[in-house]
Amino acid sequence: MASRRLLNIAWQILLLWLVFRCGTFLVGVLHLALPGNVAGMLLMFALLCTGVVQPALVEAGGGFLLKHFAFFFIPISVGLMGFGSLMRQSGLTLLAILTVSALLGMAVTGISVQFLHARSSR
Amino acid sequence: MNAFLFTGLVLLTVGAYLATRRIFMAYKHPLLNPVFLSTIAIIAALKAGSFTLADYQPAKEAMTFLLGPATVALALPLYNNRSVLRNHALPVLAGVIAGSLSTMAAALAAGRLLELGNGVLLSLGPKSVTVPIAVEIARLSGGEATLTAAFVVATGMIGSIVGPGALSFLQVKNPVARGLALGTVSHGQGTAVALHESETAGAMSGVAMAIAAVFTALIAPYYLPLFLP
Repeated sequence: MASRRLLNIAWQILLLWLVFRCGTFLVGVLHLALPGNVAGMLLMFALLCTGVVQPALVEAGGGFLLKHFAFFFIPISVGLMGFGSLMRQSGLTLLAILTVSALLGMAVTGISVQFLHARSSR
Repeated sequence: MNAFLFTGLVLLTVGAYLATRRIFMAYKHPLLNPVFLSTIAIIAALKAGSFTLADYQPAKEAMTFLLGPATVALALPLYNNRSVLRNHALPVLAGVIAGSLSTMAAALAAGRLLELGNGVLLSLGPKSVTVPIAVEIARLSGGEATLTAAFVVATGMIGSIVGPGALSFLQVKNPVARGLALGTVSHGQGTAVALHESETAGAMSGVAMAIAAVFTALIAPYYLPLFLP
């Protein structure tokens, strides 16, 4: 039973991988200024909306990948090891920039949506 | 020998992830972010064994192989929330686009004022977008993928720690507005926090994260150069 579930997840991930490759291929052929994985995501969304692919066909594999989404960031972040001198030199500056810009972005989205939402529901 | 090292490094990474995930699940404190803790632990272990980044590279390539299909899987939450998207199309699109443009502008303008190099500025551009997409945007626009990944993870942590308090301070109480704000700026990590607040906020945050990613990918090649010297 557990092995059957695992096999199901593996096969669904293969399917998602194929859609990813299609997205990458389309971007290359059409010379789009868009990352291949975004094209793959939009393609998958279109396939779901048009009913060509039923959600059940990719839910187990997709759910597994999304549940452990954070895992993939770890090997990428380890690359920070190569930026030791930059961090020592401008680490605090970068932290300040990230904090201020994050707060500004959230304030703009939060306030504008609350305003538009109040107007549209009136 | 090399196969040995490769297996060891993969096991080290997976082990660090599983252990820190457990710690996070037990305490749910934003500072106990599994990515943050695992990264520190792995870098410390590599330094202790005097390994270099080049030694880690093959293991990294193998482990990030599934990032492409994982990004494609983001279409699922977007599809599941399509009715919310239809019902609130205008506030959602306007809010996410305004937030994305202003957070990028603030980061790049401040970075330029503080005389950061062009490579660092371009790496800062997609900092509010989910990692796999941010890394691709950085690569296409001439930034450093690794640096961008670090900025993205840091932005996710900052947003999830100070975001909810800041929104309350600004009297933003509407769950749709709070979810969109968290997802636009702090992608998946913000979405995790929004899910804690309410189901509506969580769903909106997931939608915002997807729209912000697509919008930033489309606009970055034209928008980011405006802020370069």
